[in-house]
Amino acid sequence: MTEMYIREGDFAPFVDAMIAATRVIGPVGKRKKFVYEPLESSSDLRLDFDVTVLPPKKVFFPPAQELVRFDGDLVEGCIAPIDTVLFGVHFYDVKGIDMTDFLFRERNADYNYLAQREATTIVASNIQAISPRAFWDSVGPEVEPEGHDAFLTKLDGGYVLETRTPRGETLIAYGAFRDATPEEVQAAADVNASVMGRCPERLAHSSNAIAEKVRDSFGDEKLWRELANGCFSCGSCNTVCPTCYCFDVKDTWNLDQTSGQRTRYWDSCLTREFAAVTMAGGGTENFREHHSARFRHRFMRKTTYLNEKLGGPACTGCGRCAQACTVDIADPVKVITTIMEVTS
Amino acid sequence: MSCSCSGNGSNESLFLPREARILHAHQPTATEKHFTLQLVGGERFEFQPGQIMEVGVMGYGEIPIGLASSPTRTDTFEIVVRTVGRVSTAINTKGNGDSLWVRGPLGHGFDLDALRGHDVLVVAGGIGICPTRSLIQYIADRRDEFERFVLFYGARDPLQLLFPEDRGVWRAAHDIEYHETVDRADVAWTGNVGVITTLFKTTHLAADTRVVICGPPVMFEFVIRELDSIGINRENIFVDLERRMKCGVGKCGHCQINDKYCCIDGPVFPFSEIQALEEAI
Ligand SMILES: Cc1cc2nc3c(=O)[nH]c(=O)nc-3n(C[C@H](O)[C@H](O)[C@H](O)COP(=O)(O)OP(=O)(O)OC[C@H]3O[C@@H](n4cnc5c(N)ncnc54)[C@H](O)[C@@H]3O)c2cc1C
Ligand code: SF4
Ligand code: SF4
Ligand code: FES
Repeated sequence: MTEMYIREGDFAPFVDAMIAATRVIGPVGKRKKFVYEPLESSSDLRLDFDVTVLPPKKVFFPPAQELVRFDGDLVEGCIAPIDTVLFGVHFYDVKGIDMTDFLFRERNADYNYLAQREATTIVASNIQAISPRAFWDSVGPEVEPEGHDAFLTKLDGGYVLETRTPRGETLIAYGAFRDATPEEVQAAADVNASVMGRCPERLAHSSNAIAEKVRDSFGDEKLWRELANGCFSCGSCNTVCPTCYCFDVKDTWNLDQTSGQRTRYWDSCLTREFAAVTMAGGGTENFREHHSARFRHRFMRKTTYLNEKLGGPACTGCGRCAQACTVDIADPVKVITTIMEVTS
Repeated sequence: MSCSCSGNGSNESLFLPREARILHAHQPTATEKHFTLQLVGGERFEFQPGQIMEVGVMGYGEIPIGLASSPTRTDTFEIVVRTVGRVSTAINTKGNGDSLWVRGPLGHGFDLDALRGHDVLVVAGGIGICPTRSLIQYIADRRDEFERFVLFYGARDPLQLLFPEDRGVWRAAHDIEYHETVDRADVAWTGNVGVITTLFKTTHLAADTRVVICGPPVMFEFVIRELDSIGINRENIFVDLERRMKCGVGKCGHCQINDKYCCIDGPVFPFSEIQALEEAI
């Protein structure tokens, strides 16, 4: 909508004014890594992060989210959104949010997710440091990030803020912004263009070609056993992924033993129990018994199953799974490259 | 109760269950309990045969259960729950006047339009009789909308056979061809002994029969082999599948069969739609 500029020296007061007015969540440093956390002061904010350990999905879909509370016969829902600014999201994570927005909204709209999503203003920011396993510039390049209200780009001596929605527009009031000059707008575009093509990893095929080949490989047990070799079903690749959103639901009691809550927890399709069904009668049937079947399921979800709905793969190329996997087999680039080579 | 979490009443949670009162509960077998329920507030529970719901006890959890009665009957609805584990045990400790918490109806039931005007065969194995009973009652109540109606029911042994009154009615009805079998007989048993596929010998089925199958996964393969030999088109075979379900609304991912969700695309599928899915049966 509009392009604004703020000088470097005015940036911290802008962030502090925002923090004073509302809850602001942004990337902060934690030992050598980065995590999204509520900001206490502008000095916590680290826009020079490469990638955060967990994706920003946790803001709308926390690792544990109460759905229902009960006390005796009283049962009530737990939807309680908090106005939030999510500040400093790289464009691939905006894509991840777009995907979970769609998936939680389609068919049965899930307001336990959507209410917090709708109460959140998202400010995207340019990529200043590239994560060592990233490949976002070669995955789904045709998928545009959408669900952000403003985009912030760091230049020498200041920042350009492009607002994309009326909600993003309101943030201007917190800082000493002025209209950006055409030169500043161009400089911001150049900064963002310059990071493209610089990811350390890359996919050499189109999303459609990948989708087709990966789907065709489904019946190749041997290939999938090799690809999944060494997987110990820890589920870390699921946990860190911005587009994974499977969950388990559990009831717990409070100490009084009359009240309690029904809570959903992040779950992982890589774990053994995920697809197990206790058959009435005692035995257990598992529809994805071998870890290679579970590993394959995850890749089918990322590269084929959801493509039509999402307009591209359910992977943003953030590289978090590659970094999280101790045995280093989860990297989509490696897996896809092998499949493309073996079946070509 | 002081709860900081309520609010935003306009946007309804998919996970908020409704209270259903147990009007009648009885225990037909050592492990099953049969409940007749009504929504608190008296509102009618609208559903289609073959649909499921999540049934729970707060503090224990909820599980997917098929509706076991026909929507053509009354403003009550029935379920039969087998004691298997944590939640089913908690449900089966409940009795007359107690409450259960339900969400639903969920999923796609039997495609009645595909069955109407045709011969129908229902093959129910074990607890699979519960969700199919909804359809059986429906067909019995609207008998003139369907052609020949054949029903196969098999259980492990005579003690496992559910719905004794219904079976009496089905046996006596001149317009239902009812056949039952047990894997293992006891001394009092005079009927057929053997797995459910042995019943195919007892009757002749036309190739354009519409077939509904519900039972343990092992049963499907053998029943379908029989149907193939009769020449029944796989598009006319409907299977009711079981998967672990946590949400029932297509989000949690647990019930996924390749790219289909058992909870919203099923649990009833035309066999032709899932036969190519490696993870289906
Ligand atoms: C579409 C459908 C219809 C069903 N209809 C009936 C019915 O009419 N009557 C009946 O008695 N049972 C029915 N079941 C099976 C019933 O849901 C399970 O027996 C029940 O989930 C067991 O839960 P539990 O907590 O007692 O057992 P536990 O073994 O303690 O369960 C642990 C977890 O596994 C899951 N789980 C275990 N077994 C199954 C299973 N067979 N299917 C799905 N999830 C399972 C539960 O959700 C639970 O979260 C149906 C299942 C499905 C999917
Ligand atoms: S692929 Fe790696 S991260 Fe994922 S479950 Fe297996 S070992 Fe864990
Ligand atoms: S699959 Fe891996 S690279 Fe792709 S979005 Fe998920 S964590 Fe990132
Ligand atoms: S039960 Fe959750 S997706 Fe089907």
